[in-house]
Amino acid sequence: MWQDALLNMAACSSAGRVLSLCRRFQNVLRISSATNIQRSAVNVTKYHCQLYRETSPLVSPFWSSPTSTASQCRGLHTTISRRGLEEFFDLPENWGEANVKSGAPWTAKQLRTKSNEDLHKLWYVLLKEKNMLLTLEQESKRQRLQMPSPERLRKVERSMFRLETVVTERETALRLLQTGQEKGRPGAWRRNLFGYIYWYRFKEYAIPWYMNKRYKRKTFYTPHFVQPHMRLRLEKHLRDKTRKANSEKQKLAKLKEKFPLMKVPAS
Amino acid sequence: MPVTRIFYPLYQLGNPQLRLFRPNWFLTLVRPGKEQPPDTVQFRIPMEMTKCDVKSYLEKIYNVPVGVVRTRIQFGSNKKRNHLNQRVKQPDYKVAYVQLAQGQTFTFPDIFPEKDRTPTEGSMEEMQEKFMEDEKQRQKLDP
Repeated sequence: MWQDALLNMAACSSAGRVLSLCRRFQNVLRISSATNIQRSAVNVTKYHCQLYRETSPLVSPFWSSPTSTASQCRGLHTTISRRGLEEFFDLPENWGEANVKSGAPWTAKQLRTKSNEDLHKLWYVLLKEKNMLLTLEQESKRQRLQMPSPERLRKVERSMFRLETVVTERETALRLLQTGQEKGRPGAWRRNLFGYIYWYRFKEYAIPWYMNKRYKRKTFYTPHFVQPHMRLRLEKHLRDKTRKANSEKQKLAKLKEKFPLMKVPAS
Repeated sequence: MPVTRIFYPLYQLGNPQLRLFRPNWFLTLVRPGKEQPPDTVQFRIPMEMTKCDVKSYLEKIYNVPVGVVRTRIQFGSNKKRNHLNQRVKQPDYKVAYVQLAQGQTFTFPDIFPEKDRTPTEGSMEEMQEKFMEDEKQRQKLDP
């Protein structure tokens, strides 16, 4: 599991490097309890998510490894993080550095192995990291200095994007199993004024559609006089398509002329 | 982009409190341009956020006791022109002035202190610096 990876990381790199390497993992380390790292001596953060409003802060973390006995939890506190606004800034050791080392972004494959609670917490970890990087970026612009390692921002964005895709995947799967609906938001295929057919997504209203004056002004049909315009559009599209196909064929013919032994690329 | 346009469910009397999971809003702490009272923190927030949103965001995610939040929208200038004489718009943004509760104060720290940059032995940075110095030496004209 990834705890082994963390242990490996802790073992083989020096104490100072543990903090700077793999910032993503390091952030997760702050909320992990089972591994024997420098940072575990500091408070384990418990984020005030709505989910945990009812439960006490002493709820055991979900990913506690089988080896986490009382002896290994010597560095564990389950108190709430008291760092507050300090979390908008990097660790004080990294202030003024030219380069801050950070690990790879989370991949969708790695994220799919995590439970929903883990992903939820990771979202907030990434959120805080992104806030910190944005403040750093703005301050560097203000001071007219270069921001140290701006690629961290892009890594965090990608991680969040992948997290969101994984969560939506799980939601659609659950919805399909429970209700048989593919889409969370109801909609329908409708035609608009210009003859295009598009997926119209329904909006929630407090009154029925026949009482909704603004909705009734919308036209979900194509008037008769738009037909010539549609025909011309179709002709243009077909012409474009045939022209493209012809140009491809001509290009291949020319190449074949020059290089008779050429293999035709499969496309 | 990951989170598609959020459509909040319609609220009618008796509906449960709206809850947001995995908010897609990012706050930027900025150094105030004008002198602010010691308990005021200045943020740049996305346009869609409200004062209540900022308050609950800071209280729940950052565990910061928030007293009062005031917001304003800063108009990004549309005056500058590019080489084609087209007006270039700088994006608008919302600024939130958050006053901390419980008598806490906050001063914007100096994030870029002067540091002695001596790279560790055998590291990449040392090799890079050496290379740059050699290049500069090569580019120097003869005395």
